[in-house]
Amino acid sequence: MLAFGHWRAALRDPGLRLLVIAVVVAVAALSSVAFFADRVERALILQGAALMAADLAVEQGEPIPQAWLDKADALALRRARILTFPSVIIANDRPLLVQVKAVEAPYPLRGQLRVDTPQGEVSQVPVPGAAWLEGRLRDRLGAQIGVTDVGLGELRLRAAGVLVDEPDRGGNLFQLAPRLMMAYDDVQHSGLLGPASRVKYRLLLAGDAAQLQQMRAWLSERLPRGSELADLENARPELRTALERARRFLSLAALCASLLAGVAIVLATRRYVDRALDGAAVLRTLGMSAAAVLRWHLVQLLLVVVVATALGSLGGLLGQQALVSVLGDWFGETLPAPGLRPVLVGLLFGLSMALGFAVPTLLRVGRVPPLRVLRREIEAPGLAAWAVWVLAAGGFFGLMVWQVQDLRLAGGMALALCAALAVLMLAGRMLLLALTPLRRAGGNAALGLAALARYPQLTLLQLAGFGLGITLLLLLAVVRVDIIDAWQRSLPEQAPNHFLINLQPEERTALAGLLQARQIPNSGLYAMARARLVAIGDRQVDPEGYTDLRARRLAAREFNVGFSGEMQRDNRIQAGRWWTPDEPPRAQFSVEEGLAQSLGIRFGDTLTFDVAGQTVRAPVTSLRSVAWDSFNVNFFVVAPPQMALDLPVTYLTSLYLDPASEGLTVEMVKRFPAVSVIDVRPILAQVRAIMERGALAVEMVFVFTLIAAALVSVAAAQVSRDERAREVAIMRTLGASRRRLLGGLLAEFGLLGLVGGLLAAGLASVSGYVIAVELFELPGRVSPNVWWLGIGGGTVVVSLVGWLATRRLLGVPPLQVLNSD
Amino acid sequence: MSDGRVLDILSAIDMQVNAGEAVAILGPSGSGKSTLLGLLAGLDQPSHGRVSLLGNDLGDMDEDARAALRAGRVGFVFQSFQLLPGMTALENVALPLQIGRRRSARSQAEALLREVGLGERLSHLPRQLSGGEQQRVALARAFAGDPAILFADEPTGNLDADSGQRIIDLLFGLRDRVGCTLLLVTHDQQLAARCDRVLRLDAGRLVGAP
Repeated sequence: MLAFGHWRAALRDPGLRLLVIAVVVAVAALSSVAFFADRVERALILQGAALMAADLAVEQGEPIPQAWLDKADALALRRARILTFPSVIIANDRPLLVQVKAVEAPYPLRGQLRVDTPQGEVSQVPVPGAAWLEGRLRDRLGAQIGVTDVGLGELRLRAAGVLVDEPDRGGNLFQLAPRLMMAYDDVQHSGLLGPASRVKYRLLLAGDAAQLQQMRAWLSERLPRGSELADLENARPELRTALERARRFLSLAALCASLLAGVAIVLATRRYVDRALDGAAVLRTLGMSAAAVLRWHLVQLLLVVVVATALGSLGGLLGQQALVSVLGDWFGETLPAPGLRPVLVGLLFGLSMALGFAVPTLLRVGRVPPLRVLRREIEAPGLAAWAVWVLAAGGFFGLMVWQVQDLRLAGGMALALCAALAVLMLAGRMLLLALTPLRRAGGNAALGLAALARYPQLTLLQLAGFGLGITLLLLLAVVRVDIIDAWQRSLPEQAPNHFLINLQPEERTALAGLLQARQIPNSGLYAMARARLVAIGDRQVDPEGYTDLRARRLAAREFNVGFSGEMQRDNRIQAGRWWTPDEPPRAQFSVEEGLAQSLGIRFGDTLTFDVAGQTVRAPVTSLRSVAWDSFNVNFFVVAPPQMALDLPVTYLTSLYLDPASEGLTVEMVKRFPAVSVIDVRPILAQVRAIMERGALAVEMVFVFTLIAAALVSVAAAQVSRDERAREVAIMRTLGASRRRLLGGLLAEFGLLGLVGGLLAAGLASVSGYVIAVELFELPGRVSPNVWWLGIGGGTVVVSLVGWLATRRLLGVPPLQVLNSD
Repeated sequence: MSDGRVLDILSAIDMQVNAGEAVAILGPSGSGKSTLLGLLAGLDQPSHGRVSLLGNDLGDMDEDARAALRAGRVGFVFQSFQLLPGMTALENVALPLQIGRRRSARSQAEALLREVGLGERLSHLPRQLSGGEQQRVALARAFAGDPAILFADEPTGNLDADSGQRIIDLLFGLRDRVGCTLLLVTHDQQLAARCDRVLRLDAGRLVGAP
């Protein structure tokens, strides 16, 4: 084909060269982010898996069938069996209720087991005949490690170490009795696994994602009634919320980088097309049809983009390698190896982005009238600037949905983009109107500023380019810090790190007094009852009626219903309204939206609960979202305090204990024997780690955004380079001094930067607020820094970019430019 | 050149144009006429030799100083008009006056446009004008600062015979009024004959007596 033979000639075109660089950088940035995000996300999931001690777990009341083990072996998955049951142990002649956990090597499959022994810290499962005791169990027993023997059924186990950290402890956060860990093989000889025992058998699995998926599917088909599959999806909600937020941050940062790259591509294409128009006119004169001319350029573009995309992907692979070498040790363990998906993402994304952004502009080439050969000033009819941008934004929306797999995020982003463009175009038009009188003036600055009014299309294009570029930069530079701050502030230094549960009503006053006397920060006492959901409206709740595993689990078990007059401060009403103290008391429920969604509860439905044999019915008057990663006391279902009066309730609170107050837990356990103290510090540490690493990863992705922004600036300044070169040459011919021209150029770019920066500061403030509140459910506070940074930074940087892009023009002898016409 | 050989576009040129004189440089296409004109006007620099304009040695001046020398004292008319496409006819003509910081630039420009017969086209953009009209705007611009010297590069090269004739008449009419020096590059013998003196250029060298 003709176009193939001429691609070298095309590459000599500076517009096309800029387009190639834009595509290479865009794809390199994107695929680096995709590679890196992919690996970081998998590392974060691994950390989440550590809280389950596995990637996938299945639990039931019967021993794990041999067939399941064989299947896991056939799929080359790592596996470990554990079983748990409550039992009474005897030590130093004292009986005590414990939660026994029998484990087999290589438990844990994810995360780390930490045990203090007289020989130092170890991380293995106990050998037969030995047991690891939780610290509070040792305290209660007054056991001596390495010396005391513990009687469990028919066995005598030596207390050989103190359990410091057990990764899947979180899964049984609210267990009442302290832990005793023993060898899996021993438990068979304890005589405790009779039919009446409340043993739970659990199979832990870990390994390759594809194999795990296969195992999950295989198990789902064979799972007997009462069995339960658990993976990260239904692991602890605190962690899920934190992981989800980290993922959204990364996606948002990557989207900003790719959007900027897209803007650079639109601008670069515009210049390429402007220069291609002359050639197209000649081809039309030589008898080529309009369609053929367009095809010629499309093929040319496609060839160039394919090569550039491949180069970009290669750059992305190298880029993320550099990232990992910098960040690798910050992530503690080694990151998982890069997957292949990002290569595909980079290739497809680059190709479709370049074509999506470039083709609407390129259509002009097909419409060039042959008369342009004679009258160069004849323009090819093209799409208006706004139409090009809207088409490009539409194409980008499709890509965003595909890239982030999140319709809400992509939709919000697309909407914001269209609104931003509308604002920029409107402001651009007003600017042009305001500048028109300057065409009559003659000063240095006026001459430059009038140039903006002389080329309205170029001005609008440049304003949109600079404006969007600065907005996205501000969003990532300032708003990013605000949002991450708000996120980290949502888990303050003194976030609750212990929960006290099962406090009896008559013990309330004494405990409150104790906490006050010791000045322990706490969340206050909340009444709660264990309740089972019986009916939603007239429909009976049957666990088997749900296909979703989480819904099945929620329907089958009792969960906590809280009673409170005030809404927890990390909750947000999504539908209906919270009760006020002055309204007449009536029975009603506020339900967490995730639970409502899983169980199919709608606003206004009447719920029926069974609370220790009593039936409680009330309508749902509000749906709430809950920031589970705040570690405040939160409930799936909350009712007004009056409803607690006739029900058997216990109380709970969360409190912050600093290392010096840790002895208090022993005291509390002694004074309030029924109370359980739950230490959530390991989970807190996990969530903090996700926040810190998530924030760090966003910082790294930001580097690519900066590169893309630099590219946008160059492309935006280059858009008008040809027109500018000619103007400068003519002005030079007419005797304009370098200083005068420079003054004009600086005034022109400075004003573009000033207006672009001002608009960008406004756009970044609004979108930053919306992103924080809507997307991350965090307080929306945007730093006033965006204003001076946007206006000042915009003016200075755009002037600088303009100066760098055009300063060479000022030194070129005019004849060289004029002769090139 | 790309193969390393040196290509002499002009060589052994020694000429002088006196104040108030009208000189034509005549020669076939590719003889170096336009290059010579550009060098004489200070729009480019020779690799060897010296050019003096209005008593100033251009070799000692940088691009900025040369521009300052041109401002308001040197006028240009190009074959391809070289109007700024985003400016109206009036703005194009006012431009050199504004660069020279003259007062009432717009009224002077308007008067000049009326003189070349474009009083009704003041606010038209170049693309809305015919070739002849564009060249008349260029003429008005060239004379806008009452220049001491006017350089014209094939001013009728892009025009039909009638338009070309009108441009020539206007050019010489305006020059007579202003009394400036004229240096004109052309391959049109008849046009050259209207000048005081004709120089012939062939393959980069002056032939015949200057």
